[in-house]
Amino acid sequence: MLANPRFPKLPYALMTLGVVCLLIGSYLGLFVAPPEHYMGEVQRIMYVHVPTAWNWMLAVLFTFGAAIAYLFTSDFKWDARVEAGLEVGALLGFLLCCQGAIWAKPTWGVWWDWDPRLTSTAVLLCSFAGILALRRFVDEPTKRAVLSSVATIIASVDLPIVYFSVRWWNSLHQMQSSPATVSSQFHLPLRLNAFGILFLMSGFIALRARIASQRLSSELAPPPQELVGELA
Amino acid sequence: MIAALRKEFLLQWRTRAQAVAVFVFGATSLLLFSFAIGPNAAALRQHAAGFLWLGLLLSSTLTLSESFHAEMENRALEGLLLLPVSPRVLYYGKALANTVQLMLLGIALVPVMVVLYDAGTTRIPIVLLIIALGTAGISAPGTLYSAMTAQARAKQTLLPLLLFPLIVPVLLASVKATSLAILGDPMDQSSAWLALLVAFDGIYWSLCGLLFDRVVED
Amino acid sequence: MTGGYITGGWPYVIAAYSWTALVLTAYAVSLFVRLRKSR
Repeated sequence: MLANPRFPKLPYALMTLGVVCLLIGSYLGLFVAPPEHYMGEVQRIMYVHVPTAWNWMLAVLFTFGAAIAYLFTSDFKWDARVEAGLEVGALLGFLLCCQGAIWAKPTWGVWWDWDPRLTSTAVLLCSFAGILALRRFVDEPTKRAVLSSVATIIASVDLPIVYFSVRWWNSLHQMQSSPATVSSQFHLPLRLNAFGILFLMSGFIALRARIASQRLSSELAPPPQELVGELA
Repeated sequence: MIAALRKEFLLQWRTRAQAVAVFVFGATSLLLFSFAIGPNAAALRQHAAGFLWLGLLLSSTLTLSESFHAEMENRALEGLLLLPVSPRVLYYGKALANTVQLMLLGIALVPVMVVLYDAGTTRIPIVLLIIALGTAGISAPGTLYSAMTAQARAKQTLLPLLLFPLIVPVLLASVKATSLAILGDPMDQSSAWLALLVAFDGIYWSLCGLLFDRVVED
Repeated sequence: MTGGYITGGWPYVIAAYSWTALVLTAYAVSLFVRLRKSR
């Protein structure tokens, strides 16, 4: 049984809410919060970069969960969600690397560095892109679903590495931020943007899963008799 | 399990001409890499470990994609699955055989590396250990993905595309450890890298074996 | 509002925010287009 939306308008509501949060949060982060002591204005990039990072990791976790769910239930609605999670996860990962590079140039002097966190992030991003490519090359829906679920589970092994890399190795990247480490003036825009991207991302995943479901319905349904007659 | 291994080695012995060809490919790539640096002996020595593992990785795409070739050609995969041996055993047999094959290739390429890059070392046992652990880390996901891409179109492109991102941590650790063995390890960092290799081998060998049945079931 | 040892950071900030906005908007548009097409 493929997902039949019970609340058809929900993704749009989520996306609108997300955009509103992002607009307010970004305004606060850009114009209201004070500049940071060492990095000056450039530090404001944190208000998009950190929320993108948190939500990217959530997207990967979601896709991992959906992959396991598919392998256990063989229900195609989970495959639709895997497909959605892969695409949105790749999107956010790509965005994350771009933001990071823009922040890195003035602060580290280079666009990219091969330190553990960046390397493991790039690995996960490439893995997701690879699995999306894999899906294009397998025509049979069940096989495609099984293979991408398996590949997603293996790729997700990298996620804990991304998260803990700053702690395990002496990474160039900053340690993870938590409310304890970030002063309170920075909290509000950070949280608002984090929720903003969360809502936006959830809307994206829901809509993308819907597109996937519709395609899967047509792939799995038997062709109508008239068409078969025409093709023969 | 022993029978599965025997079958694999028999298969590989019969196609040993291929092994020579893969070795030549590996050796040639090592030669080509040196052109990227030029005749700078010091730089060559410094990057020797990286070149060795890159050469090994590229060669692995050749051996791994051949891995299920025989089965797919003759539809022997279905026949094998009908036998009272679990797919998991089949997987571990193949993965082990692939590891041994890559290990032998790695060992064969070490003299090439020593000659081309002046990268000799007395720490031979460590280098052998790194080669064993690293090739195991490549073979485990490599065998699984070989089975997966055998069922897809454009398999030659898909296998490296899917495999290489996953292999990066193993590659990194192997290169670092080999480099320390060649150039010297004043701060004894290699144990950390070896531990990382062991951890990855553990994770990949268990996870991939677990998932193999789903990949080959029909 | 000057502060910090790195000055002149605004172009980077603007670049980061606008690229983010562009990518997210473009993706949303692509979703709407694909959804309409598949209906």
